[in-house]
Amino acid sequence: MALPLKYNIRNVLVRWRSTVTTVLGIALVVAVYVLMQAMAAGIEKSGANTGSPDNLILVRKGSTSESSSLVTREQLRSLVYSPEIARNTAGEPLVTADVLVLLNLPRRDGAGEANVTLRGVSPRGREMRGQVRLMEGRWFEPGHREVVVSQRLAARFAGFELGGTFKSGPATYRVVGHSDCGKSAFDSEIWMDVDEVCAIFDREQYSSFLVRPTNPAAATNLMQRLDLDKRLQLQARVESQYYSEQTGTAKPIQWLGNFLAVSMSVGAIFAAMNTMYAAIGSRTREIGTLRVLGFRRRTVVASFLLEGAFLASLGGILGSLLSLVMNGYAVGTLNFATFSESVFEFRITPYLMLKGVIFSIVVGLVGSLLPAVRASRLPVISALKSL
Amino acid sequence: MTLPGFVIRNAFRNKRRALLSTLSVAASLFLLVTLQTFQREFTLPPSDIGASLRIAVRNKVSLGVPLPVRQRPIVEGIPGIAGVTPFTYFGGRFRDEAYTPFAQFAVDPVAFTNVFVDARTPPDQLAAWMQDRRSCIVGKVTLERYGLKIGDKLKLIGTFYPVDLDLNIAGYYSGTPDDRSVFFHHKHLDEMLGGGKTVGTWWVRAASAEAAPGIISALNAAFANTSAEVRAETESAFQMGFVSMWGNIKLLIGSISSVVVFTLLLVAVSTMSMAIRERFRELAILKAIGYRRRELFSFILAESFGLAMVGALVGAGGAYLAFSFIDLPKLTGGMLRQFEVTDRILAMAFTIAAVLGVVAAIPPALAVARTSVVDGLKTLD
Repeated sequence: MALPLKYNIRNVLVRWRSTVTTVLGIALVVAVYVLMQAMAAGIEKSGANTGSPDNLILVRKGSTSESSSLVTREQLRSLVYSPEIARNTAGEPLVTADVLVLLNLPRRDGAGEANVTLRGVSPRGREMRGQVRLMEGRWFEPGHREVVVSQRLAARFAGFELGGTFKSGPATYRVVGHSDCGKSAFDSEIWMDVDEVCAIFDREQYSSFLVRPTNPAAATNLMQRLDLDKRLQLQARVESQYYSEQTGTAKPIQWLGNFLAVSMSVGAIFAAMNTMYAAIGSRTREIGTLRVLGFRRRTVVASFLLEGAFLASLGGILGSLLSLVMNGYAVGTLNFATFSESVFEFRITPYLMLKGVIFSIVVGLVGSLLPAVRASRLPVISALKSL
Repeated sequence: MTLPGFVIRNAFRNKRRALLSTLSVAASLFLLVTLQTFQREFTLPPSDIGASLRIAVRNKVSLGVPLPVRQRPIVEGIPGIAGVTPFTYFGGRFRDEAYTPFAQFAVDPVAFTNVFVDARTPPDQLAAWMQDRRSCIVGKVTLERYGLKIGDKLKLIGTFYPVDLDLNIAGYYSGTPDDRSVFFHHKHLDEMLGGGKTVGTWWVRAASAEAAPGIISALNAAFANTSAEVRAETESAFQMGFVSMWGNIKLLIGSISSVVVFTLLLVAVSTMSMAIRERFRELAILKAIGYRRRELFSFILAESFGLAMVGALVGAGGAYLAFSFIDLPKLTGGMLRQFEVTDRILAMAFTIAAVLGVVAAIPPALAVARTSVVDGLKTLD
């Protein structure tokens, strides 16, 4: 017969002092674990969210990132009238060229500087990227040094408020609009008219092309054709796929999160063990009584394991709830692929919270295994005699 | 029985608990030291001999925008300058590795030896490098890592530039804080690109430390209001610019460290309270036979402090030994450069442990002080 669950729960509650400290300790470990995973999830989300599966992005063969790729106007000319490319209602081919330049800009809080990607886009390019929406102000006008920045970026860099200006090299830029890019990588970019960017930086070459094929078969066809074309030296990728591969930064953060979880859980397991040993030590007589009443050893083991798991899961639940405070909080760090700041947010999903609770239960079970075994092995008579 | 003997016996009378508390403190301090070392790694200013004299000149817009080669004579004309070399990041991929752990730079070899005085190369190898335009010198660490020999070929696939390089290894260099990079002739890169109008950055060495600030302002002023304004700064300031790019990561490591410390505190307090609760009766007896509160507090304090310090010794000391003996720079392919546990970090860990030991003794000591002898004697467990 199993011991009633109530026995363990009330035991945990009656020694509330040690319960509170153990629960808090485990809660903090779980909160750190969930937050690190949430950060990795946020980075992955921003990559997976960017671009459309209907578009192809074309960069120079061999280049590892859009910002380090160079493509020419001649390449653009030989591409525009490819039969695979779709046309808009006005009959113009859906092809556009972007220019990317890194700007080193001061942070809003005065804590140094960081690189931000400036993307020069054409009106067609904006049309082809429906996920970028203007929230405030207006779009930039060709021929003016006007830019639109994402709302998220606006909070991080000096002079990015609506109507604000910032200087980079010899040019001064005016912020005329704030955009929302649906938590995508475009949320980490400044947008400007492409011809204006070329003029400021004396650029004759573009960084990448974006094309919309008529259908998936045409897309495959175009990709294969470019692959074999030795003259054009371009490689085509599905736009959404391209950006999700550019966010390789999630890996080190996941790695750091796992390292922290493992080493903090070692500490947490020792703490849980300590608590459970003490709990059993002060209940020696009780355990003797249980055994005399006919409860089996394995029942006692199961009962204490359950108690440890319950204690730890309280911590797990509390920790997951604590981490919710940070949900949606935007942070930025260096993306190695683009060498510029990428902004993303903590995404605390129900799945991650569940993972946190399961993690805490594992800590509880491991921590109470040895104490539980010890409890079940106590010699009945001497246990009864003990004070 | 002497008093210290009494305290030590008490601390270890429940050996399991003493071990568990020590280990949990040790685990947390190990983590704390690791995190702090990690953070230091990212905020590390270079400390080699040339660093204070070296000045990096990049485009004011950002490192990603090149500088025109016509700037060179103007830079060279600034008084107080001992050497100027172009310094262009090639960003090539080596073999089929996803991440190439060493950087390659195109430089002017003669000027390079004048600017990077700490990079030492055997004279015959240096002469060979100067003569052969298609050759390079390789950092000792990289040379050993890949088992390369002098005379081997080094093939690099261009990711920034639309050219691939096939260089001859003329020699190796060592003596810099980070002997990993590859240096080759800028002229070779220019030839491959069929031009040579731009460079990535200029690196300048000041003749003396006193001259450096003047050179920096002269460099910044020389190209103001041109199409390529520059930003000149000391090598350490240049490196600190990378640190700032890490953004919120620094804050994140800082906050995790404080969470670790707080968790540590909770564990220590709970352990000490448990230890004291177990012998409430004994302490009441001590009180009854005339020991004062102050003395009882010092018993508890000594025990808690001692356990915390042993934990620190195991945790922080363990981290120190682990990171000194494990060659992390080698294991991570140079991602981590030094990963050195400094005296400062160790001192911090021990200070935290000391504070912990004192703070953890306070709640149980208060409980003992508050309880009257009679109540204390009445407690059963």
